[in-house]
Amino acid sequence: MEYSVLGKKVRRVDGAAKVTGQAKYTVDMALPGMLAGKLLRSPHPHARIVSIDASAAKALPGVAAVITAEDTLKLTFGNWRRYPHLLDEHPLAPDKVRFIGDEIAAVAAADEDTAEEALTLIEVEYEILPAVFDPVEAMQDGAPQIHTGPNVRNNVSETRHIEFGDVDAAFRACDRIREDDFSLHAVSHAAMEPHASLAQTDTDGRLTIWTSTQVPYYVQILLAHTLGMPEGKIRVIRPHVGGGWGGKIELFKDQYCAARLSQITGKPVKIVYTREEEFSCTRRRTPMKYHLKTGYMKDGTLVAKEARAVLDGGAYNAMGPTALYLTGFFQMFPYDIPNYRYDGFHVYTNKNPSSAMRGFGGPQAEFTCDSQLDMIAADLGMDPAELRLRNLMKPGHEIKGYCKVASCGIEECIRKAMKSTGWKKKRGNLQFGRGIGMGCYGFMSGGVFNWINTPYAFSAAMIRMSVDGFAEVYVGSAEIGQGSDTVMAQIAAETLGIPMDMIRVTSGDTAVCPPDLGAWGSRQTLMTGNAVKMAAEDVKKQVLEAASGMMEQNIVYSYDMRDGKVFVKERPDRTIPYQDAVKAAVRARGGLQIVGRGLYTPHGKGMVSPAFSFGAQVSEVDVDVETGKVSMVNVTTAHDCGQVINELGVEGQLEGAFVMGQGYVLSENLATDDGKVLNPSFVDYKVMRAPDVPLNFTSLMVETYEPEGPYGAKEAGEGLTNPNAGCIANAIYDAVGVRIYDMPITPEKILAALEEKKAAAGKKKPGKKPAARKPRKPARPAKKTRK
Amino acid sequence: MKDFEYIRARSVDHALEVLAEKGESAVKIAGGQSLLNILKQGLMAPDCLVDIKGLEELDFIESNPGTGFRIGALTTHASILDSEVLQSSCGVLASMERHLATVQVRNWGTIGGNLCMADPSSDAAPVLIALGSTAHIRGPEGAREVPLGEFFLGYYETVVQPGELLTEISFPAIPPATGVSYEKFRNVEGDAPIVVSSAFVSLEKDGRTLSDARVVLGGVASTPVRATAVEDALKGVKLTPAAVESASGLVAESTSPIPDVVCSAEYRNKIARVLAKRTLLSAFEEAKAAVGGKKHR
Repeated sequence: MEYSVLGKKVRRVDGAAKVTGQAKYTVDMALPGMLAGKLLRSPHPHARIVSIDASAAKALPGVAAVITAEDTLKLTFGNWRRYPHLLDEHPLAPDKVRFIGDEIAAVAAADEDTAEEALTLIEVEYEILPAVFDPVEAMQDGAPQIHTGPNVRNNVSETRHIEFGDVDAAFRACDRIREDDFSLHAVSHAAMEPHASLAQTDTDGRLTIWTSTQVPYYVQILLAHTLGMPEGKIRVIRPHVGGGWGGKIELFKDQYCAARLSQITGKPVKIVYTREEEFSCTRRRTPMKYHLKTGYMKDGTLVAKEARAVLDGGAYNAMGPTALYLTGFFQMFPYDIPNYRYDGFHVYTNKNPSSAMRGFGGPQAEFTCDSQLDMIAADLGMDPAELRLRNLMKPGHEIKGYCKVASCGIEECIRKAMKSTGWKKKRGNLQFGRGIGMGCYGFMSGGVFNWINTPYAFSAAMIRMSVDGFAEVYVGSAEIGQGSDTVMAQIAAETLGIPMDMIRVTSGDTAVCPPDLGAWGSRQTLMTGNAVKMAAEDVKKQVLEAASGMMEQNIVYSYDMRDGKVFVKERPDRTIPYQDAVKAAVRARGGLQIVGRGLYTPHGKGMVSPAFSFGAQVSEVDVDVETGKVSMVNVTTAHDCGQVINELGVEGQLEGAFVMGQGYVLSENLATDDGKVLNPSFVDYKVMRAPDVPLNFTSLMVETYEPEGPYGAKEAGEGLTNPNAGCIANAIYDAVGVRIYDMPITPEKILAALEEKKAAAGKKKPGKKPAARKPRKPARPAKKTRK
Repeated sequence: MKDFEYIRARSVDHALEVLAEKGESAVKIAGGQSLLNILKQGLMAPDCLVDIKGLEELDFIESNPGTGFRIGALTTHASILDSEVLQSSCGVLASMERHLATVQVRNWGTIGGNLCMADPSSDAAPVLIALGSTAHIRGPEGAREVPLGEFFLGYYETVVQPGELLTEISFPAIPPATGVSYEKFRNVEGDAPIVVSSAFVSLEKDGRTLSDARVVLGGVASTPVRATAVEDALKGVKLTPAAVESASGLVAESTSPIPDVVCSAEYRNKIARVLAKRTLLSAFEEAKAAVGGKKHR
């Protein structure tokens, strides 16, 4: 059936407001009498707090309140309500600080300058403790112990083990084994809108907080926990959000402190992190050290894989333990490897905490996986694309106890990407300095994770339809710029058979919308989308019942809605305006408005996700052999997101994910020295900018039907962060023959590797002109090159 | 950011008056592209800002075929980029400006502000030094001129005193048989350069022998530096790619880079060598074309 709005290029419902500046973000908001809040942070990576004297700060004119741990309940908190042993963070540090930036106190004052001045007047006496910054050192006996507790040993806060098949036997039986070590660095989410909160406490003690978050419901229940209040007295409102990427999926100190200070002062309190705080004191992508061992046959069949990852978790768990699991899980994607073993260690260090970030462990896994696959292909003299095609997961793939993969379009993705890029012609035939590389991935469409321990469904939706035919859709999902509200409007419009402009989506107000786990793990299109579809079907059923009474057709006929009309399915020319049926339905039940409800929770879907998306990425790069600089020439991505809901949205997500990945590989690096972030500004932290976006970017959509998704839809836009590092690394190798094992792949590392290679070649063949690699012949048809 | 008094200068004389009165507590602000970041970070906390951005008398581009060019200190990067006279007779300046920062910065930032900021990896300084520029400064004692090569004293430090104003930059017309080129290296487009090089090459009538050269590097020391060892090695030499390559190997004699979060000191030297070579070769090509009578620049 041809859809009326699904799969089309639909303008974002919030697009006009955003491009005209009408859209208001938390940072834009103000209330009369508002106070400015600021946080006092630790200047030491590891220290015991001996004493805090805030009296001088409190005495400063303009200061309304100063809070320390003594003004809190001193409870630990986090998303891990189901796993309390992982809760290791306090709203304000009660006894110890564990990274430069750890929060100690907060001030509310008449303005920001006064609040800042007050911070300088708070006297904290520290006993400085030895610190540790490298996770491998932190695991050694005798290392400084950052956290103590029955579940922490040598700073290892969590371990994860995944195993299936008979790994040891498979390694014994395979033809060849390859082992490599990789290291991955920290990067920042670098959202344009910093963490920001504005909290107001009413005279009856009810709290309203406007905040930049991906998870309004989590913020509500975690504020309730940390403040010792009932959830029902807290209302979280998420205005437009200027980016999250996993950096806003927890309760943050700005939220807690704004709320607590508003309780104490009785005035609205606003806290906005500075850019420096964003880089130095919030979350970051988890740095990892990976050891990867793969066993394979001479024909290219992968038979066994063993991965070991040590994660630099930073000072607190944050969402690191989920990255710990997902990096091990997605390490095998999208390949059918029958024997697999993963051991991961999440290790505390005295640095800012690592947590969720777009891809959630996937980018680290796929860099190692894709890099090593190309080395295996080189070892076998195989085309790396052929090696991948030989080992792919197929629809229906099952990993017992872990997951079932229903829809899977990876093979078509690879073939489409190869065809579109002219892979076979280019691979091995480009001039020295230009190269082409491939990376592949699979990713989740929402997690089967209930760490937060909620009794509610993972997603829910409610739709009210008024007599003039307008539908109000209420969802708890978070529109954070990814286009979620537009997707929900499309699903509602398609299901109801009414135009998009008859729909209004209200999301992210916990007093109005049903609870939803929020925006993380690429979950909203599938999970909230299913709930919206169910709610719309509920509304439609009520309208059609009334229409059936009005239209007086043969009882064997059935009814549906499309293009704003109710029609008889068997006699489509017989129609009435749906608004007439809505009015009749309302009258028939004494004036009660039509309300539809829907919900979704994954059941029987294993341990990870109800559905998986797939994709293949091909990059063509130029490497300047004198400077090592990499330029993107062509980028092609083929993505299987099931049924496309909004084609414009998918394109935007794919392009954005690629550019973010490009920065991760080539330029971004949140550098630290003894725990101090060295580049906490956009001057020194190098994100890709508009002129860096490849001009030749091709998005290919591979449509499959995912039975668990609404209309067959699944993830789009997070997974593509995963393959870029390996893909670009492979293209660089193809261009100039050097392999970089430690990220990021900077020009300096490439140049050093080229020089090393030149020197080695010079030693091997004395007398000959040292060449890094034989200059290739210009591209020409593959057949002619063979004589 | 600490509160400060804001004074908008009505004229150069008024600005000098105010600066004399306020002394070291006052800071001049032109386009503010760098200063505002510094204030926000608390690296400076002046009591008074003297805004000179509106001084139209310092916003001009003048070309005189005999004596050369004058550019007012408050001319924006965008004005220099769009100047037809500079595009036709000093193309290297336009090519530098085209890739300086981003369009927003070019529209508001000024050439004088850029130079007075004295960022060691400034886009503008090396090319202006290569062109043989002079800085014109006015202060309570009157006007003085300083060769731009002697203008920079160290990181973010120039010869301009608190009571003084940089008023204009001047440089002679490009002589015959001469080419001037510019190149910068950066890993992210739209970002500040890591290393900058500008080369000025004048040839003898034979169209091969180098008579005069200036190679100016940015981002490899606390100020822009002349690569004098490279220049000396090429003087009187018949230029070939091999000769240029070999002379460029001497850049490190003039540089003193420090390692930072972007790259190592050694890498800066390697890039300086590559850029010196590339700019010398392209200036050489342009000079050869000028000797051959072809239209250039």
